[in-house]
Amino acid sequence: MLLSRRDAIRGLTFTFGAAATGFAGRAMAAEPALAWTPTALTPDQARLVDVVAELIIPRTDTPGAREAGVPQFIDRALADYFDKAQAERLRAGLVRMDVDARAAHGDVFVALTPEQQVELLAGYDREASSTQGQTAGGGHFFPLLEDLVTVGYFTSEPGATVALRYDPVPGAYHGCVPLAELGRGWATR
Amino acid sequence: MANLNGRARQENTYDAIVVGSGITGGWAAKELTQKGLKTLVLERGPMVRHLEDYPTATLDPWQTKYPQGQLPPDELNAHYAVQKRTGYTLTEYTKHFFVRDDQNPYTEESRYDWIRGYHVGGRSLTWGRQSYRHSPIDFEANAREGIGVDWPIRYEELAPWYDHVERFIGVSGQAEGLPHLPDGQYQPPMEMNCVEKAFKAKSEARFPERRITMGRTAHLTDPTEEQLALGRTKCQYRNMCIRGCPFGGYYSSNSGGLVAAERTGNLVIRPGSIVTSLIYDEKKGKATGVRILDATTRQEEEFYADVVFLCASAFNSAWIMMNSTSSRFPNGFGNGSDQLGRNVMDHHLGVGASGEAPEFADMYYSGRRPNGIYVPRFRNLGDAATKRNDYLRGFGYQGGASRPGWDRDLTRQGRDPSGPRGFGAARKAALSQPGPWVIGLGGFGEILPYEDNRITLNRDKTDEFGLPTLSMNVTIRENELAMRRDMQTAAAEMLEAAGFKNVEGRDGGYAPGLGIHEMGTARMGRDPKTSVLNAHNQVHECKNVYVTDGAAMTSASCVNPSLTYMALTARAADHAVQARKRGEL
Repeated sequence: MLLSRRDAIRGLTFTFGAAATGFAGRAMAAEPALAWTPTALTPDQARLVDVVAELIIPRTDTPGAREAGVPQFIDRALADYFDKAQAERLRAGLVRMDVDARAAHGDVFVALTPEQQVELLAGYDREASSTQGQTAGGGHFFPLLEDLVTVGYFTSEPGATVALRYDPVPGAYHGCVPLAELGRGWATR
Repeated sequence: MANLNGRARQENTYDAIVVGSGITGGWAAKELTQKGLKTLVLERGPMVRHLEDYPTATLDPWQTKYPQGQLPPDELNAHYAVQKRTGYTLTEYTKHFFVRDDQNPYTEESRYDWIRGYHVGGRSLTWGRQSYRHSPIDFEANAREGIGVDWPIRYEELAPWYDHVERFIGVSGQAEGLPHLPDGQYQPPMEMNCVEKAFKAKSEARFPERRITMGRTAHLTDPTEEQLALGRTKCQYRNMCIRGCPFGGYYSSNSGGLVAAERTGNLVIRPGSIVTSLIYDEKKGKATGVRILDATTRQEEEFYADVVFLCASAFNSAWIMMNSTSSRFPNGFGNGSDQLGRNVMDHHLGVGASGEAPEFADMYYSGRRPNGIYVPRFRNLGDAATKRNDYLRGFGYQGGASRPGWDRDLTRQGRDPSGPRGFGAARKAALSQPGPWVIGLGGFGEILPYEDNRITLNRDKTDEFGLPTLSMNVTIRENELAMRRDMQTAAAEMLEAAGFKNVEGRDGGYAPGLGIHEMGTARMGRDPKTSVLNAHNQVHECKNVYVTDGAAMTSASCVNPSLTYMALTARAADHAVQARKRGEL
């Protein structure tokens, strides 16, 4: 079942837009305050990551990426986890997002409207899916960033215990349980 | 070298020495101490105490240093170039239970994935826990087919020791009444999920000879008084076994054999003791003990005993013997047959099939079952109906059905095409639900013993202690390759018969060692000219040295081997105690 990303994404319809992301109007103030101190990201990059993470996993009836500490998670991954090539790919991507934002809309990414932001992200996603598997060793920055947001969110305490179900000590196994009784997917397997 | 005399020598003298503390060392220690022998267990790595030394056992997903507990690529490449090859064993949760490859070098004349852990308990902490008996046809196959040498024992001789081991370690499983997969002493089996139950019903209707049963696994589902008294409790379905179990839910040396041994008052464990050779006394015609290198002080020391058990793992027990040369044994200890280091076997795997189950979309499960379903061997069982003309022996399948979680959408995992796409609330909501059911079967195939599949001692390349290292030269051959084709085809047939969708056969490739079941390097046999060990695991040429780990195996069967290693060890320990009483050692 593990098809390539290219196969996976080919021909699929995206559901972008303000309605889907839950935003209306300008996403953020031009200089939103950062409540934490990044170590590997610059403050500007941290603000950018914060906005992108929340676009990918917004607050709904459960916490969003920002509340789950995903931007901090990405900062830690950049500091401790990524190898040099991965770190450079991600940093170059963050630089490019602002360059593209200026070229298209005359301002940095965080200053754009959610519609404009989502349109740029959708472009990166299309671009990544068309190049996936074609560049040996390298690769597009966007899947790297999107995966980090997804992992950071669903392995966070709010992600695992509120958006999903988590049970550190189940005590028993029941092989056939109505999904309706459980409501959500398990955080771990 | 410290050649001790008088009192110092007496202080270093025991009734028995056990080299290694893993799944067989723990059993040798338990049996020998319970039968009254003062026993010294020598372990090359550090102490790991049950409960106290499982630092990651209760970490929640958000408590890891790295994303999903995966180690940074730089760390993997620098220190775990071999250990990382399994793709699943080496994580932030487990790295303290695996060796650093940069500190434990060997030479790959051909690729060999030597996955190991140097610490008290060894791989009994990280094993797969699947526990099956070898069958009568496994013990007879070599003789019948003229492959390798004949096993010097038959199933009936080992059966009571399987009973003994299963009762102590606790094995949950379903009795099936199959002659080619003998039943044992089982605690209640774990439960199949909806899709597995449907698979069993439909596939067995089409292929009745391909029995589908619950995996037999060394987990407690209804612990005995003896197990509870050792401080072990029921499996809690956490499925974090590889980190060490704070409940003692699965069997390890640390939670089982070594605890029982310690309680006799007859056990001494000395971690940090690298056994470098056996001491052979030419006049007495027997081994008098072992030499060690203290891993911390780098001092050599000697320990003495009436009987020595080598339980250091197939390759390291062979290494000790190859490194134990004397005028009596110029080519390695007990190696008059030149079979030491030869006949390396493993189980070849990485081939099978998977599919999707459109039914049961409204059903799920609770608990994390540390076990799957099992399909016992159904080829070459001795009758015409199961006979294959393209290969000898057979394979079993391990598998299971599950619903993928939130990580099905990760691009680096190949992103499920049926999964949610886009950004925002819709994708988040979709990933908060389980994905569609998937089911898979993966084969474990028997590898024949080939004399030229061997490990050799390399004195030119030394490790950080200045000790010689191993060179590996092991490959699979036409018999295994033909079997793999059938393993893929037959798995897909079963999934298709059960009506699953998008069934795909797959051979992901296999490198020797990936089964982590290395064995055969000091095989048992009837003739000292063609084998290293006799029917009681004694070295033919030196009867007070027993080798009871994977090295002893004369053929591999297709089932996971640890249960057989434990049964052989318990049987050999009983023999050693009786022989010592009779003054034969």
